[in-house]
Amino acid sequence: QEVTLRLHQFLPPQANVPKLVLDVWADSVEEDSGGRIKVERYPSMQLGGKPPELMDQAIDGIADIVWTVVGYTPGRYPSTEVFELPFMMTNARAVSRAYWEMFETHMKDTEFKDVHILGTWVHGPGLIHANKEIRKPSDMEGLKIRGGSRLANALLEKVGATPVGMPVPAVPEGLSKGVIDGTTIPWEVTAALKIPELVENHTEFTGNALYVLTFVLAMNKDRYESLPDDLKKVIDDNSGVEFSVFAGGTQADSDGPARQAAADRGNNIVTLNAEETAEWKAVAEPIYAEWVAEMDEKGIDGQALIDEARMLIEKYTE
Amino acid sequence: MSNLELGFWSFPVLLIMVFMRAPIGLSMLLCGFAGWYFAMGGNPNVLLNKLKSETYSQFSSYSLSIIPMFLLMGQFATLSGMSTALFKAAESFLGHRRGGVAMASVGACAGFGAICGSSLATAATMSKVALPELRRYGYSGGFSTATLAAGGTLGILIPPSVILVIYAILTEQNIAKLFLAAFIPGILAAVGYMLTISIYVRLYPKSAGTRPPQPMSERWAALGKTWPVLMIFGLVVGGIYLGWFTPTEGSAIGAAGTGLVALLSGSLNWSVFRDSLFGTARTTAMIFFIVLGAGFYNSFLALSGVPQYMADWVLAQGYSPWFVLSIILVFYLIFGCLMDSLSMILLTVPIFFPVISAMDFGMSPEHVAIWFGILVLIVVEVGLITPPVGMNLFIINAMDRETPMSETYKAVMFFVGSDIIRVIILVMFPAITLFLLPA
Amino acid sequence: MIHRAIRTLAQATAIMGGLVLVALILLMTLSIIGRSLNKLLHSDLAAQWIAGPSQWLLDLGIGEVQGSYELLEAGVAFAIFSFFPICQLYGAHATVDIFTSRLPARLNRGIVAFWEVVLTAALILISWRLYEGMQRYIGNGETTFFLQFPVWWSYSASFVASVVICIVALYCAVMRVGESLSGRALLPTA
Ligand code: NA
Ligand code: NA
Repeated sequence: QEVTLRLHQFLPPQANVPKLVLDVWADSVEEDSGGRIKVERYPSMQLGGKPPELMDQAIDGIADIVWTVVGYTPGRYPSTEVFELPFMMTNARAVSRAYWEMFETHMKDTEFKDVHILGTWVHGPGLIHANKEIRKPSDMEGLKIRGGSRLANALLEKVGATPVGMPVPAVPEGLSKGVIDGTTIPWEVTAALKIPELVENHTEFTGNALYVLTFVLAMNKDRYESLPDDLKKVIDDNSGVEFSVFAGGTQADSDGPARQAAADRGNNIVTLNAEETAEWKAVAEPIYAEWVAEMDEKGIDGQALIDEARMLIEKYTE
Repeated sequence: MSNLELGFWSFPVLLIMVFMRAPIGLSMLLCGFAGWYFAMGGNPNVLLNKLKSETYSQFSSYSLSIIPMFLLMGQFATLSGMSTALFKAAESFLGHRRGGVAMASVGACAGFGAICGSSLATAATMSKVALPELRRYGYSGGFSTATLAAGGTLGILIPPSVILVIYAILTEQNIAKLFLAAFIPGILAAVGYMLTISIYVRLYPKSAGTRPPQPMSERWAALGKTWPVLMIFGLVVGGIYLGWFTPTEGSAIGAAGTGLVALLSGSLNWSVFRDSLFGTARTTAMIFFIVLGAGFYNSFLALSGVPQYMADWVLAQGYSPWFVLSIILVFYLIFGCLMDSLSMILLTVPIFFPVISAMDFGMSPEHVAIWFGILVLIVVEVGLITPPVGMNLFIINAMDRETPMSETYKAVMFFVGSDIIRVIILVMFPAITLFLLPA
Repeated sequence: MIHRAIRTLAQATAIMGGLVLVALILLMTLSIIGRSLNKLLHSDLAAQWIAGPSQWLLDLGIGEVQGSYELLEAGVAFAIFSFFPICQLYGAHATVDIFTSRLPARLNRGIVAFWEVVLTAALILISWRLYEGMQRYIGNGETTFFLQFPVWWSYSASFVASVVICIVALYCAVMRVGESLSGRALLPTA
């Protein structure tokens, strides 16, 4: 082969995203290039550093391609947070499509100008797993919950829970020893963490999800520019909106089996109806205004982003 | 040159630098620098960019912050007279037997190991207390120093243990479970050393003296004074295991607890406090420089693909897992004669661990990882007392000016023998290590 | 004279780092005590017997110190950087001298001086790159996840300590070279 690309990310190779999304992408690129591109895969931060540094590693060329959670670098890519607002997301395919569209119009040449973005997506609906049944916002009062994102933490504070910061791998131990009473996480991740064996109550929402994380697959800009046109085309053909929808969709598709596993154990899965969900939305409402104010400080029209995101998500949600 | 070849060439270069007396952390750092530089086709930009965050990232680690805290805890424990209390208690029960004071030293080392995360600190601390006593009761210089050098290794074998923390981070294992698994092997070590002492004094009756037994009341009184040690060990290790707090939090609690005891004992004035900070500072910096160098070097090794290649190669040979494990352990024993334990762990675990994980020992991957960790811990610790380079031997021999190194070397071989027997037992019966772990 | 100044500098820096470490230990301890009390006060027993006082205590905000792990990470990085100068001054880095110990003393001093110079160069390189890392974070607005303080704050604290490392390392390198030329010990070993 003539081009070797180093793909660096933080999960072990057998986890869902590396196995079902990144490997598929990398294999497809290798194949389409007729073997002229080789994608070397470095899982579990093997090339050094901590997950928040992945983005800089792509910018600096330590890795050629990284997959990362945008929220690991709070404050640097504020616009993506519009999708992370509570009860913004509907389903992963629709939101990933809207995310890519808004990335192209609003973020590509501003916040993400230092990297070449290959894909933008979100995981399936984030929900609450707790050691007691949660129906109303007031049920959360006094509980210690691991929040999945900055804005999920904001919501937890609004409902009177204490957001606890801990890395995902620490969650099972935290739950089993009562350091936390629950966690917000999508179904997909619960299987690996054995959450359904540790807590028996799961609360889903109707229509919109409690929270979600935004991801990017990012490539070093110079590296991309240095490729001959035909190889650039291979990368381009495998990236963009269709890849983003595939990635988000694939990740969300892993939710189903995990949810079924919890149901099979006889766990208590509460799905709040539209009316009950509205109660939660009302509590979350002030977070929107607070976020717009924060964006104003950064010179970003937050309200316009919210409106556009809502419009696009509605358009793409079947 | 391919990256794989670069990776393999880096080994001899690294060893030459180390044996030419370059600081070990520096050797690994420079090999990592050179590796990244050449792998990037002679372009220094990636290397320079990597350095922007590498140092801060390595030093600002939640899990590694255990290390300075456990080191400070050891310093405070020494100040507060816990080492003396432990030795007095053990000595009052065992001192009148033949070789009893030496056995008491081992027992006190085990007790001190329960609140100290470092072998060198345990050896140095207990020597200050026990060496004069051993000599006073007519124990030979070589036997006394060898006993304390061996006893010092209990500082790492009995949890908490700095090396296990590093191993846990390198292999992404649970620190609490590793601590738990180290417990029985640690006790076995102490028992093994005591047996060794009783054999040694039968072979060389002139090497040990005796004293009359103490009344039971005095013995219990001496034992009673060790309660702070028991309390702190119970709180720290018990709390970590029961999940009241993370290992990092446990190390903070332990340091705070020993600090409080030191303060209450009245021995903690500004000047000793300052000295304990200096002691912590020097060892911490020494450790973290190696951590930094190893981190950089290991990221280059991953880039070169050497660990994966080695694992694939070993699997392709179709060797029995037990044979591979034995080879690796023997390798550690040999290298332990030359290098310190931390550098060895940081350098070799990223290469050997993938090999061992790929093999089938008929146990769950987690159990294999923990069992291998304990075995590696023991064999690298043996390195601390194997001649010619054994850090514990150096430290303790330096404290006893009358004893020539050769005598310490001779006597310590008995303890090395006991270590090797214990390793063989633990290899043959993994259940001993895994016994305490939840199923 | 200059030796005294350097020693004072290295010791003062180590004490600074040590005090930060002690502060972190107290912070973590308080956090755990707070968390345990919070759990106790929330328990059914507390609700039954001391409902009034326990609610009052809870309202005071007794609980875990939120985001303590971010403070720990920032603080411990500073502490470790601060611990380097004193390690440097006493030549406390781990080495293997089994092979070189058979060489003549003069040659050994030369080897030690050589590595000290290389080590100093590496430490200066590290500090320079740390400075560049700090510059990047000053520009990009990145904060920590929980407490949301700018990342460059912690970088700059560590950078200040790393400047001291460079000063002490340079001094030690000069002195080690001096030792190898003059054949006399100039730096302390213990
Ligand atoms: Na220990
Ligand atoms: Na040795």
